[in-house]
Amino acid sequence: MNLSGVLFLFVALITLVAAWRVVVSERIMHAALWLALTFFGTAVAFLMLNADFVAAAQVLVYVGAITVLLIFGVMLSGATEVRGDTNMTFWERITQSKGGNPVRAILPLLAASAFAVLMIVLYHLADLRIYPAESVITDTPHAIGLALFDTYVIPFEVASLVLLVGLVGAIVLATREEGE
Amino acid sequence: MELPLTYVLGFSALLFGIGLFGALTVSNAIRILMCVEIMLNAVNINLIAFGRYLTPEAATGQVFTLFVMTVAAAEVAIGLAIILMISRRRDSIDINKMNLLKW
Repeated sequence: MNLSGVLFLFVALITLVAAWRVVVSERIMHAALWLALTFFGTAVAFLMLNADFVAAAQVLVYVGAITVLLIFGVMLSGATEVRGDTNMTFWERITQSKGGNPVRAILPLLAASAFAVLMIVLYHLADLRIYPAESVITDTPHAIGLALFDTYVIPFEVASLVLLVGLVGAIVLATREEGE
Repeated sequence: MELPLTYVLGFSALLFGIGLFGALTVSNAIRILMCVEIMLNAVNINLIAFGRYLTPEAATGQVFTLFVMTVAAAEVAIGLAIILMISRRRDSIDINKMNLLKW
């Protein structure tokens, strides 16, 4: 096993533990902070895959913007379950929200793990033709910029339209109505 | 020496599994949004890994990842606005209590 493999497995382990804590932690604010660590681990994984521009964008967009947005959402929604019920363990909460039926609580775990195992087996069986490492592009911002404004111009413009519609929609939805 | 592709793909499969499990079990709407984000991140890792190992001369995988990020950002903004509106009207963001459209 080589050094980069060990390093990647270390980062992957941290990211997976953080993602698991997002699902099971009692307080949703803790979940949001664990989510930031998950995003950061993903950014490090991008960096190890020679995608430095995307890693920087990941840190800016996910760790910076989306986490802050989620924390704002947690704080602005005054609902009672945001604070979390600290007396119950994760499985008790799940079974209670599924109507007290343990079978319905265990089913999602089966589905998710079956999916992950199936994908890993498929990847092992697949005949992937891997190209040598010398041909990997190193000047990624240059290549991405060329691709964005040459091959993918129309998707790029549509993406900007999606962002504009999202902005307007979020403002319209979140504004307080008159007399409310 | 370089990183084996199977490590990366296994990592992303496990990450997607955790996100899927969370989205299926959790009843808090904000936490479901977080789990969807985890799944999108796993997909992004797959895109980057396949782009890096199978088409190393093209930046297609990375460009597609940027598009996924754009859509994810818009999705979180709209989703949070909807959740805020629901919590303002019903004082709850538990999806098991959102049953107005249930027959």
